[in-house]
Amino acid sequence: MTTVVDSQPVHQGRSRERVELILSQLDRLPTLPVVAARLLSVTTSDETSVRDAVEIIESDASLTAGILRLVRRADLGVRSRGITVSRAVALLGFNAVRNAVLSVQLYEVFSRPCEDARTTAAREGLWRHGIGVACTAEMIGESLGGPGLGSEAFVCGLLHDIGKIALDACLPKSFTRVVEDVERRHVCVCDAEREIFGLDHTVAGRHLAARWRLPQAVVECAWLHHQSAGALPSSVVHGRLVAIVHLADDLVRAAGVGFSGYGHVGDAEEAAKALGVDPDNLTTLLERLPERMESFQELIGLGGDGNRREYTTSLAAANRQLGRINAKLSAENRRLEVRSACFGALEQFSERLSDQDRIGDVCVAAADALHGMLDAHRTVAFFADGGSRCVYAGVSAADDEDGTVLVVDQSESHGATVRDWLSLVPDVPRLVSAPPDSEHFWQQCTGVCADEPLWMLPVIGLNGAAGGVLVCASEQAVFRFQATPAECEALARAIGFAWVSARAHLDADRTNEELLDLNRRLGAAQKELVRTRSISMIAKMAAGAAHELNNPLAVISGRAQLELGKCSDPDSARTLQLIIDQTQRATQIVTDLMNFAKPEPPKPALVPIADLLESLCQHWRATSSLGEERLSLTVADHDVSVYADPAQLREVLGAVVTNALEATEPETVRLHINSPSRASDETIRIVVEDNGTGMTPSVLEHALDPFFSSRPAGRGRGLGLSRAYRLVEINGGRLSLTSTPAVGTTVTIELPAGAPTS
Amino acid sequence: MTNNRTKQVFTTGEVARICKVSQQTVIRCFDKGQLKGFRVPGSRFRRIPRDRLVAFMRENGIPLDQLESGKRRVLVVDDDEQIIDMFTDLLGKDGRFEVRTAVTGYEAGIVTEQFRPDIVLLDFKLPDINGNAVCRTIRANPVYEHMKIIMMSGVADPDEIEELLQVGADEFVRKPFDIKSVIERMTELLKVA
Repeated sequence: MTTVVDSQPVHQGRSRERVELILSQLDRLPTLPVVAARLLSVTTSDETSVRDAVEIIESDASLTAGILRLVRRADLGVRSRGITVSRAVALLGFNAVRNAVLSVQLYEVFSRPCEDARTTAAREGLWRHGIGVACTAEMIGESLGGPGLGSEAFVCGLLHDIGKIALDACLPKSFTRVVEDVERRHVCVCDAEREIFGLDHTVAGRHLAARWRLPQAVVECAWLHHQSAGALPSSVVHGRLVAIVHLADDLVRAAGVGFSGYGHVGDAEEAAKALGVDPDNLTTLLERLPERMESFQELIGLGGDGNRREYTTSLAAANRQLGRINAKLSAENRRLEVRSACFGALEQFSERLSDQDRIGDVCVAAADALHGMLDAHRTVAFFADGGSRCVYAGVSAADDEDGTVLVVDQSESHGATVRDWLSLVPDVPRLVSAPPDSEHFWQQCTGVCADEPLWMLPVIGLNGAAGGVLVCASEQAVFRFQATPAECEALARAIGFAWVSARAHLDADRTNEELLDLNRRLGAAQKELVRTRSISMIAKMAAGAAHELNNPLAVISGRAQLELGKCSDPDSARTLQLIIDQTQRATQIVTDLMNFAKPEPPKPALVPIADLLESLCQHWRATSSLGEERLSLTVADHDVSVYADPAQLREVLGAVVTNALEATEPETVRLHINSPSRASDETIRIVVEDNGTGMTPSVLEHALDPFFSSRPAGRGRGLGLSRAYRLVEINGGRLSLTSTPAVGTTVTIELPAGAPTS
Repeated sequence: MTNNRTKQVFTTGEVARICKVSQQTVIRCFDKGQLKGFRVPGSRFRRIPRDRLVAFMRENGIPLDQLESGKRRVLVVDDDEQIIDMFTDLLGKDGRFEVRTAVTGYEAGIVTEQFRPDIVLLDFKLPDINGNAVCRTIRANPVYEHMKIIMMSGVADPDEIEELLQVGADEFVRKPFDIKSVIERMTELLKVA
């Protein structure tokens, strides 16, 4: 086996890990019994703290019993009857009680049973050592600074070796090895610990004490009790106590009291001198030690043989105490039951909510929550918005059907409205009797009369709105909850929040929809603007093009005409004539385009539309030799007139009908004239339907563009429909197209109805 | 004869030959104020300016062919050389017309002053001033009272055509044109057989 000094550098990495491991395990150690820890943190500075300490002790039945026994053993001249913990504290002094408590509880930690007899013995030895050091330190402290310092020194002495407890608790087997090692090899216990654990009990003790939140003095003593007074770091606050414990430890070990492992025993006389203790007194001190330890152990009932009768008496006293506590607890329990019902309802309510809830959904969820909580027959949650006279209501779920949502319009209601009787309800979130007028509303919502009294939980904080939950339940069911205003208030506020949030959601939804509609309209307007702008672009371009194109066209045409005059060859003459004709056609295209972009202003007049269409139809039938079955006309009202330019109207109808006849080889073309319903409609619709091949959406989208044609390139100029659209537009009407492939196309022309004032 | 066509001032003898009357008759008409003219300063010689003579001959129904060779003077104003060339060709070959050309409104003014055309074929869009401005200027001068103006344009806006006729154009012809009908319109306006 390597020696400690040699092994350290070699295993530094490993041992550091091990230290970390042990320290992390310290965190998982059972804490110092809570009572002791809290007691240690309480100071004795004032009356309040003493009362706190008494309460702390009373909270632990066995501890109470122990303290009462302590009083009797101390034989302070009082009879056991009427002894209380607070009286015991008064009689014994706070510090004595604290020390006793600490010792009792620490002993419980130390004396855990172990299969290994040697370890058990070692633990008992440790305990005796601790008591020895505690008593010695107390005596030294008393001699230096009176009972106050003595008491503090006692606590520090008692706890100075808690590091060993920690190591034992974390790694019991290794701790057994330490014990063996120390016995066999007679090495210092610290060295053995470092060799086996990687750290010694002073470091472990420091961590455990800190973890248990023990006073700083205890932490320092646990850490530094092996250091001589001269070697203490300057940061140490309680150097004097550390020195006392150090001296006591040395003395006790030298005297061989208990077991603490072997180790170097320092020069006690030097240490005593440094502390200001007369070295001569040390001998007397050690002589008094066994007696003192004995009386202490007897006092706390650990060492001597217990007196059975006293034990029974104290147990009875403890039992009485327990009884009182039990009574208090059951009262608390009843209160908690009501609270739990409230919070159960709250939980049920919150679980039902989602961020998509509408006000009605929230109403039903609230009604259901109170329904379950109050064991009610029926509940109705309602919400009256600030602005409107509509009331949202949710009726709780009945036996086998879901809850229902109602919107009650009270704008035409007779008698008291919800708001009227709501104003009678006190504005507090408590369960109160509902006003008599609410009965009518109840019937409106549930459809039945209330078979138990009506109660109401007003919901507040609705920001201008009002609402509440109506409950039909027995008096007993409601009574329990009237005593717990805070919980009911929490529920009422939660419902209120949910309502406000649902309404905000609703508002946001509406705003969204409006925004969407606005966007759609904006999009349409933009499209129209683009179209108008592109038309005005075409107009500018056409004017420029007309001028630029017409000169060369005039030259081409003129030269051809000159040549034609001199030409005698018939072939050349035909070619020249072709050139002349095509030039004329090119000129016409430019002219059409200009007319499209800048049509002549309409000269509107009253046009009897039925007569016009009938004569046009006859004309079309004659020119295209069509029968009535192919081109039909239906007129709803022969007397209607439109107010438009007659010539342009003819052109429009001609273009639309020609398009219908030519475009898609239809079997029939039907024209309707829908007479307007004069009251509201100022427009007349002329519908031209064909059952041709129709247009695909992409064709339809461009059907009104100038020069667009779905026909093969080079056939027609494609200005017909777009010019018609333009002419209808300048006559104050609208032309729209719908088309379904394989079904046909419908052109609807809307024109202003005849002169309104004639 | 060739002189007569370009001469700006005539003697009574020359006027007598042109009008095919005696010199005495010419002197009598001059002295009566029927034929307007002036006397050469420092002498009694009568002189008659060309426009006065033309006016006198028209008033009395005397044929102008001695003065104007029988050919009608045509001024073609267009900034497009191809158009000008075409008209030069067309009208030159016709034989009844004497043709001058101009490519700007300014040049048109100068040539009008010198050439005194019977008819102007005037393009609407000119590089400097528009045809209607040229037309308005000509009409503002009573000397050119009898001058005919045919406006030509590729722009077919009816409002604009109406405006052109308002400022004094006799005819509007759209480009490109049917040559025959243009010639017909010209001869009609000039009453050329």
